[in-house]
Amino acid sequence: MAQRRITVQSEVGLHARPAALFVEAAAKSGGEVTVAKGEGQGVSAKSILAVMGLDVRKDDEIVITAEGDDAEQVLDRLAEIADAG
Amino acid sequence: MLQVLAPVPGTAVAMAEVSDPVFAQGMVGPGAAVRPAARPQDAAAPISGRVAKLHPHAFMVLAESGHGVLVHLGIDTVKLDGAGFEKLVEEGAHVEAGTPVIRWNPADIEAQGLSAIVPVAALDADAAVVGSVADGDVAAGDPLFTWS
Repeated sequence: MAQRRITVQSEVGLHARPAALFVEAAAKSGGEVTVAKGEGQGVSAKSILAVMGLDVRKDDEIVITAEGDDAEQVLDRLAEIADAG
Repeated sequence: MLQVLAPVPGTAVAMAEVSDPVFAQGMVGPGAAVRPAARPQDAAAPISGRVAKLHPHAFMVLAESGHGVLVHLGIDTVKLDGAGFEKLVEEGAHVEAGTPVIRWNPADIEAQGLSAIVPVAALDADAAVVGSVADGDVAAGDPLFTWS
């Protein structure tokens, strides 16, 4: 399992467009991928409903966790999206 | 089967018509969009449920069945930082399909050089579950698409 803690730089947080890109990237992973806001409960990063439901805003800290052989690559891509959006 | 209603009056078009590729390609979810009539109006809940997220320019209604629908008022309207949008309910409120949620004027959005098109997306849904998509003139509260 790989985990990363990042501060979201996307201007709109993880709202519609970045949320969709985030979920698409997570869905490509074979293993489980979760995202949590701060110390909160993790939710599936493969669900746009769950990701938008977290209400992540710019400068919020999120913790993303991935399982599987490609975990580090998945986290790289998710971090990139959270930074750009 | 869930009937999803048009949140705003205007012209129903395919999601692919939305100028933002993330919506147009169905990445937010399948569904349909409405080119809103250029006059002050209330954007209404497309389904009955809880207003799980309420932004000035977008909202998500979550039905008891777990179906979630996102209504996004215009493209890149998050940049307006709420100016021109008035929330008519509180986040977390239970609404019936057709209940007014946000008051806005698409003409003001267009005047600022933004698209006022309103994508209505079925969240976490496969494109195959969306059917009976409306095409052409719709009033707020008219059937927009079905979600099976």
